[in-house]
Amino acid sequence: MDLRKREKEMKRGDIRVAIVRMEGTNCEEEMHRAFQKSGARPEMVHLKELASGRKHLEDYQCLMFPGGFSAGDYVRSGAIFASRLKSTMGGDLTRYVERGYPVGGVCNGFQVLVELGLLPALQGTLAEAPEAALATNDSGRFECRPTYIRHASPCAFTHRIPRGQVRQMPVAHGEGKLSFPPERQPRILDQLEENGQIVFRYTDPRGHPAGYPWNPSGTPGGITGICNPQGNVFGMMPHPERVYDPWTHQDWTRVPRREGDGRAVFESVLTYIEKKF
Amino acid sequence: MAEGVSPIPLDGLTGPQLEDLGRRLGLGLSAEEMARARDHFARRGHPPTDIELQSIAQAWSEHCCYKSSKALLREFVVGIPAPQVLITGEDAGVVAFDRDHAYVVKMESHNHPSAIEPYGGASTGVGGILRDIACMGAQPIALVDPLFFAPLDLEAPPGVHHPRYILGGVVAGIRDYGNRMGIPTVAGQVTFHPGYLRNPLVNAGCVGIARRREIIHSRARRAGELLVLAGGRTGRDGIHGVTFASRDLAQMEEDRGAVQLGDPITQEPTLHALRECVQRGLLSGLKDLGGGGLSCVVGELALAGRLGARVELEKVPLKEEGMAPWEIWVSESQERFMLTVDPRKLEPVLEVFRAWDVEATVVGQIVPGRDLHITWHGEPIFDLDLEFLTGGPEYCRPWSPRRRENPPMALQEPRDYGRALRDLLASPDICSRETIVRVYDHEVRGATVIKPLPGPPGRTGHGDAAVLKPLDSTWRGLAVAVGGSPHLCEADPYRGARLAVDEVARNLASVGGTPHSLVDCLNLGNPERPEVLGDLREVCRGLGSMARELGLPYVGGNVSLYNESAGTAIPPTPSLLGVGIVPDIRRCVTSDLKQRANPLYLVGETRPRLGASAYARLQDRPGGEVDDPPGPLLKRTLGALLRAQRQGTVASCHDISEGGTACALAEMCIGGDLGATLHVPDTMRSDLWLFSESGSRWLVEAHRTRKSQFTRTMKEVPLTPVGTSGGRLLRIRRGTRTLASEKVEDLRGAWATALPQWTSGNGRKR
Repeated sequence: MDLRKREKEMKRGDIRVAIVRMEGTNCEEEMHRAFQKSGARPEMVHLKELASGRKHLEDYQCLMFPGGFSAGDYVRSGAIFASRLKSTMGGDLTRYVERGYPVGGVCNGFQVLVELGLLPALQGTLAEAPEAALATNDSGRFECRPTYIRHASPCAFTHRIPRGQVRQMPVAHGEGKLSFPPERQPRILDQLEENGQIVFRYTDPRGHPAGYPWNPSGTPGGITGICNPQGNVFGMMPHPERVYDPWTHQDWTRVPRREGDGRAVFESVLTYIEKKF
Repeated sequence: MAEGVSPIPLDGLTGPQLEDLGRRLGLGLSAEEMARARDHFARRGHPPTDIELQSIAQAWSEHCCYKSSKALLREFVVGIPAPQVLITGEDAGVVAFDRDHAYVVKMESHNHPSAIEPYGGASTGVGGILRDIACMGAQPIALVDPLFFAPLDLEAPPGVHHPRYILGGVVAGIRDYGNRMGIPTVAGQVTFHPGYLRNPLVNAGCVGIARRREIIHSRARRAGELLVLAGGRTGRDGIHGVTFASRDLAQMEEDRGAVQLGDPITQEPTLHALRECVQRGLLSGLKDLGGGGLSCVVGELALAGRLGARVELEKVPLKEEGMAPWEIWVSESQERFMLTVDPRKLEPVLEVFRAWDVEATVVGQIVPGRDLHITWHGEPIFDLDLEFLTGGPEYCRPWSPRRRENPPMALQEPRDYGRALRDLLASPDICSRETIVRVYDHEVRGATVIKPLPGPPGRTGHGDAAVLKPLDSTWRGLAVAVGGSPHLCEADPYRGARLAVDEVARNLASVGGTPHSLVDCLNLGNPERPEVLGDLREVCRGLGSMARELGLPYVGGNVSLYNESAGTAIPPTPSLLGVGIVPDIRRCVTSDLKQRANPLYLVGETRPRLGASAYARLQDRPGGEVDDPPGPLLKRTLGALLRAQRQGTVASCHDISEGGTACALAEMCIGGDLGATLHVPDTMRSDLWLFSESGSRWLVEAHRTRKSQFTRTMKEVPLTPVGTSGGRLLRIRRGTRTLASEKVEDLRGAWATALPQWTSGNGRKR
């Protein structure tokens, strides 16, 4: 595929999005639905189909890793999914990302991207070994609850959200605390901040930094969404696909909304693709 | 005789010898039942093999053939006429949703396994109920889990798990299976009673959605179809699960082998593969393997199609070597389905399963006739007439009404109403379930419109029912609620059962759902004791009468008997799952107060009925009678309330149940983070009015601008204006006297901290 041949904007309806799944992935249907409602052409793609060459990365303009418990998460969340991906198609993925195609992960999908080494990608596109981990919540338990997140810095998946705006999205995970080797953590966090890689932070309802339960995992600085330095690989713990519409918000019987707070994530990445390819 | 198979001669054996033999083989059959088998094989001319006898024991167990309860269910519970019911009597009930779709619903108990191994028992309970829904060709969309434990500060006798350990294990089991499968757990209940010390109850329910034309029956269609076993492998886990569930619990260690092990990550792709087969129309029949394993599923699939079957048992994929044929035949290993497939469609079916890395193996064939033949490496080891095998006994055992003391009401009016309210809010059956609810993913699939804990984030209260929007193409939704109080049923099983139906209907209507169908799980003690059977009869009579008055059909259910050990039985515990239809989810109502200065109304009639109420239990004094609300009035009230909600005049609505009107309003205040003033009328003693648990009632916050429309809509039913929303306090007044004035924040504190303290071993000591 040669990108230079494209001269016009891509049409929304021509954008093919691969929703990548394996056994235990379980948020793929709502992810699929969100892209469909946004007018794109999402497609469920099993990891095996990519690994065996039955389906090809370059046929899709976006890769999404949905939430769930890939392979049961019996090792470390996302670890098995990531190692299967890396061993079969690590090179293809690197090229895909370097061409600027957006790759996103939500919840377990974020964990997969971190385990893969595509995030935070401080030393090149795909790190040899994971540079970070999403560790067990401080509470020690899985929790499903609504949270507020502030948009700290835009990337391919969030550029339609005004910087600083606070949105309500639910989380549902037991491992969401972004962690680095302790001695290097402060320096890495500074570096992420400088690079504009910190996309979302948890806050209280008024947008101020806050502890539990507003920060449900105890993640440092409330960080709950990051991107790579180029801004086209993005992972977040809260589920935007669960609040695509107003009526799945926690408080919709109290607070009227014209659209769900999560919808902008899908609109952002699709307009990014329209403009870029 | 084939290797690993032995004949069991029964000729000449009599009563005690037969019973002894049955016990040694772990069959769980009575002397009469053994004698019935003996006579059958005497007529056949050669003795049964171990696998034949084991198979009979599975089929004739209480769990599989409902031999003690069938007659009562038939007399009272089943057959309430309702045009919406499409299928009953199979693995799950199928009910009309809209013209093209149906919802599928079922609830089952997993009590015995959960008593022995709480984590494994609860998780496989969830796994099993998901398979029941999936095998009708439906996509599961919601799980519910009514749980019943002993008080957490009760000491456990030797050999019995501590209730705190059981609660922790059960919740973790439900969490891990439901969350990993990606099916939201949206409703449930946790009820405490000392009667559950040795026999905790774990009921698991599930709702699914299906296209009507994709519904699959649990039966073979014609001879020649292949039996394809798909999913997990067969192992030694869960041998004798059903026979074990059909007697009193004995020694724990002995029984551990009867508990199955669950693996959600085998089931998850299996369900995906099945969905694909269903959507492509590749299957003729489908049934999950539950109690009794292969021995039940093959016979039931064949017989339901008026056919027989042939099985080559050595083809069953095993987890471990060296299993005897009878162990393979009765193993209750999880995550397995039996498919009947037209031979021409076999290759596409196997292809689908290969793509999901799930094993699917042809293990036999449907044949003409009514016989089941099994071979083991070519040698015949089993040859039985299916009608004999599945035609289990049916008993009309002796029953007697239990004599119940019903001392007159002796409750004392509290000096401090604020304290009474706080104590009730912190009591085990009322306090916040948030720490449990939040470990379940209640919104995976992105279709949970009304969640179990409504209100602003961080300030949520308790809801009455969850609502799902199962399809993109319509605003139509499904409300899901549970109900049932063992306290009320212990005091009066008939009225308690009627109130269980009342409560479920109330819960559904609270959020805007028209009650549409019910599923019942009947949990009781040993039916061979006449007073237990008397309770079961009263429960069935109560469930049937109230549902009939409401025109609400039972579309499925399960009976779990023998929940007793060391001579003590659980209180009679009917637990219900109700489904309601929401015509437009945008009109749904939640229980959290919305706005200041809105008028509050009590819908329904308050009677001083406090028998077995939370307030009476708090005082530990007799509360008098249990209420017996008339069904026709409930039906009318439901109708009016639903009309008012659909007109958009209702801001919030909460059903009045445990803790009465006072606790219902406190929960609305907590969930809305807003105060209110409640005026107690002059009709009766204030505490009796505030804490009465008489049925068929709701508290409603009406929009102040729509007040007259609301009262007009409700004019045919009992309606009392009782106060106003607003402020930071919950104030309770009678005339000019203030009975209580409590900060909402303090009420929340009492309500929210009780369960975490109790589960961590602090707090409450009786």
